[in-house]
Amino acid sequence: MNEVSPAGEPLIRLRGITKEYTRGGETLRVLENLDLDVARGSFEALMGPSGSGKSTLLNLLAGLDAPTQGTVEVDGKRIDQMSEGKLASWRSNHVGFVFQSYNLLPVLTAVENVELPLLLTPVASSERRKRAETALRVVGLTDRMGHYPRQLSGGQEQRVAIARAIVNDPLLIVADEPTGDLDRASADDILRLLETLNRDLGKTIVIVTHDPAAAERARITHHLDKGKLRA
Amino acid sequence: MFVPLSYNVRSLLVRRATTLATAVGIALVVFVLASALMLAEGVEKTMGSAGRPEIAIVVRKGSTAEMGSSVEEHEVGLVKSMPGVKKVNGEPIGVGEVVVVASMEKLGANGITNVSIRGTSDASASFRPNVKVLEGRLPTPGADEAMVGMRISGRIKGLALGERFDIKKNRPVAIVGVFSDDGSAHESEVWLSADIVKSSFGREGAVSSVRVELESLASFEVFQAAVEKDKRLGLTAMRETDYFEKQSEGMSMFIRILGSIVAVCFAIGAMIGAAITMYASIAHRKREIGILRALGFSRLGILASFLFESVLLALFGGVMGAAAAFGMGAVEFSMLNMSSWSEMVFRFVLTPKILVTSLVASVAMGLLGGLLPAIRAARTSPLTAMRG
Ligand SMILES: Nc1ncnc2c1ncn2[C@@H]1O[C@H](COP(=O)(O)OP(=O)(O)OP(=O)(O)O)[C@@H](O)[C@H]1O
Ligand SMILES: [Mg+2]
Repeated sequence: MNEVSPAGEPLIRLRGITKEYTRGGETLRVLENLDLDVARGSFEALMGPSGSGKSTLLNLLAGLDAPTQGTVEVDGKRIDQMSEGKLASWRSNHVGFVFQSYNLLPVLTAVENVELPLLLTPVASSERRKRAETALRVVGLTDRMGHYPRQLSGGQEQRVAIARAIVNDPLLIVADEPTGDLDRASADDILRLLETLNRDLGKTIVIVTHDPAAAERARITHHLDKGKLRA
Repeated sequence: MFVPLSYNVRSLLVRRATTLATAVGIALVVFVLASALMLAEGVEKTMGSAGRPEIAIVVRKGSTAEMGSSVEEHEVGLVKSMPGVKKVNGEPIGVGEVVVVASMEKLGANGITNVSIRGTSDASASFRPNVKVLEGRLPTPGADEAMVGMRISGRIKGLALGERFDIKKNRPVAIVGVFSDDGSAHESEVWLSADIVKSSFGREGAVSSVRVELESLASFEVFQAAVEKDKRLGLTAMRETDYFEKQSEGMSMFIRILGSIVAVCFAIGAMIGAAITMYASIAHRKREIGILRALGFSRLGILASFLFESVLLALFGGVMGAAAAFGMGAVEFSMLNMSSWSEMVFRFVLTPKILVTSLVASVAMGLLGGLLPAIRAARTSPLTAMRG
């Protein structure tokens, strides 16, 4: 789907990443001098104990946050020094997001939620609706387009979130514990769907998960412990 | 670029109760503001519309109203013979009238109020072509008979068709007619023969004012110059429209200023209310805003979205307030007219300008009240979306 730049070049390249939070005069080092590559078209999982810095790492490579030190390069572009505004616009063009829960705006219908990222692009409104419908078809929710989030099950909500994450045809999809709130069967559905997106549409996917079954579906699993990647 | 407007509309609808409560606060402000402006408009209309541009009124120099003015009887003919005055069959058209104020008992409400009594000449009614006898008949000249303006008819003791009132002790005057004058201030007056008024109030030998009809609108300058040239007369001439405008100016300004002050005080409360509502709503939607930010909506886009929401909320209140003020159009009430110290009946008059002013005021309240909450919303970190 996305053009392939020089073979072997990873889509994401993190070098010397340190992330610190200062709270009440105390500095908390969450990530320490960390290197990470994610290949194009890969499906990778981040695992590790609670508080080990998984979400922090995911936020950095998705352009939601900036590192204290180190460089974040995505598709050959340094994003660690972008301004707030630039970064927001970069995210809207390059990243699809799936969160653990409450992904959707409750007052918008499924299809309206999926359309949201397209509002930030020059796509015409009729075309927007068409693309949103296509994305919902991909996740198997054609019959739920006009439903509000409260009328959907947890699993269906995550599917709508996935449809929203792919509607812009992004380089990268990130998901922070996308199955954390789901029962086994719904979780497996979501994981299968992510796998399909990765295999058939060539999407690069990075997820954070506690679920070994989820990690198994990923091609590569990184283990994070106290801010460092375990080999 | 922008969050869809339906997001804001539906977010307001979801919180029906708080939305309504906040909008009612704004509605109250707009209602007060619009009502005051409507009343000021009504005062101007009532008092101002009494005048016609082709009529000139002459009063004693230094008097701003007929009430405090005195023109010698023999000067009346002099004024009427001045250049610029229209003549029919060689006779100049004009009337000398005496205006006094009498205190009378209000009906329905307790208390005494002042009523303007106009001592008219035989020509008074025909001099004003809009005067129509609605019920009864014109008073017989020289008889102890009067007619009453429709706006005070039935509001004051003795002032209704078939009733009588004492113009002075043991001098009853019968009401034989009720008249209208196209909404002018004359509709709040009692009219009877000047002779009776003069003798009852000890004002023999003088009238309050002289009105003349001009040959044309342009003849006013000539007439005014002639009246004011003769310093011994000590009289001054005005167009009747200017005269009435001046009469209503002080009062309508007073109402406007007072109304605006009250509205501004209320507005501060209503804006704080709107701000609190928006703050609460935004705090509640922190995650949603975080998601929008994560998806790439800019701070400016979020700011605009929440400002829009707050303006929409205020505009909803504004429309409610304006609708309530519109209902005031049906209300009439009487109060003391401060320039003539007599009872006058006023109406609330809605104009397109007042409507626009009210809605603009509500939009301004929405913008001001919503600004700080919207800034807070715009500052929401995209990381908020990630936190569970
Ligand atoms: N904004 C912040 N300010 C201060 N400390 C923070 C902030 N965000 C995260 N932390 C701290 O950083 C550490 C790592 O947090 P992170 O959310 O990355 O962990 P995680 O691996 O995702 O954990 P979990 O599995 O519980 O989600 C934690 O100790 C957390 O308290
Ligand atoms: Mg986490």
